[in-house]
Amino acid sequence: MKSFKVLEIKESVFKDNNRQANLLREELKKRKTFLLNLMSSPGSGKTTTVLRTIEALKSDVNIGVMEADIDSDVDSHAVAKTGTKVIQLHTGGMCHLDADMTKQGLLGLGTDDIDFIILENVGNLVCPAEFDTGASKNAMILSVPEGDDKPLKYPLMFSKVDVLLINKIDTMDYFDFDLQAVKERAKKLNPNIKIIPISAKTGEGIDEWANWLLAEIKKWQE
Amino acid sequence: MINVVQTVETFAKQNGVTDIDTLVLQIGELSSVIPRFAEACYPAAVDGTMLENTKLEIEILPGNCICDNCKNVFNLIEHKGECPSCGSEDWELLCGREFLIKEIVAC
Repeated sequence: MKSFKVLEIKESVFKDNNRQANLLREELKKRKTFLLNLMSSPGSGKTTTVLRTIEALKSDVNIGVMEADIDSDVDSHAVAKTGTKVIQLHTGGMCHLDADMTKQGLLGLGTDDIDFIILENVGNLVCPAEFDTGASKNAMILSVPEGDDKPLKYPLMFSKVDVLLINKIDTMDYFDFDLQAVKERAKKLNPNIKIIPISAKTGEGIDEWANWLLAEIKKWQE
Repeated sequence: MINVVQTVETFAKQNGVTDIDTLVLQIGELSSVIPRFAEACYPAAVDGTMLENTKLEIEILPGNCICDNCKNVFNLIEHKGECPSCGSEDWELLCGREFLIKEIVAC
């Protein structure tokens, strides 16, 4: 008879990803490439915000974009029209990007001569919050039509990001959206979170967002 | 789950283990991993691996926090984020977000 014994492993399933993410971050720091991980639910205006951001920053920095989706390439076509270097990543059913997939994407895109890469993560407020992609900074978008209760429903996402963009503020009159309540709920989860109300459609607030990015990119490259 | 199986296989090889009877995972009740779904996809993840005949056991870890105000320890979900002793809504999370490979029973 075989004698079975208990062997302790005690290893976090996320450990491997965290290690890879840290290596990737160090590598990007050396190359002076700033990687922004942009997350949100589907339909919050991520791609439109990316287009606005490119428009605001293209004269200051060289930009690359990685579009992550479960399928299709509609987003990368929209970005390619601006003349920006773009790559479409298909996660093949996965609901998030992990550090290894991000690394593959960066290899495909090529980081030479690029200062600033926007990673448009899969539209989802749950899983992307759990997986460190190796990004320099993390940002999320919450749009007005989604409702002001989202920090209560998806606390992990709000507690992990550096910036919260509140998009579609031009539609504020049509929805029962309490901006102050969102700010309070998000600050409670994450006292250091920077909150910027924007409208990717009208361009409102984009200057403040672009200035924050420029300052962070500069800090990263020092 | 595939990551879990790979980690366990690597561990088994490093430790000269050939036969794994049981795999024990710990999942926090506040983590985004749902035990029922982890169990459902387990057979597919172990198919054709060393763990093909290994039983899966899942231990649930409670989502406990400590009250900032009165230092009482309570379950976050049960008390909906409000300290049952002083009513404060300010607390610090102690555990509940884990997704750990705890141990294997093997030889």
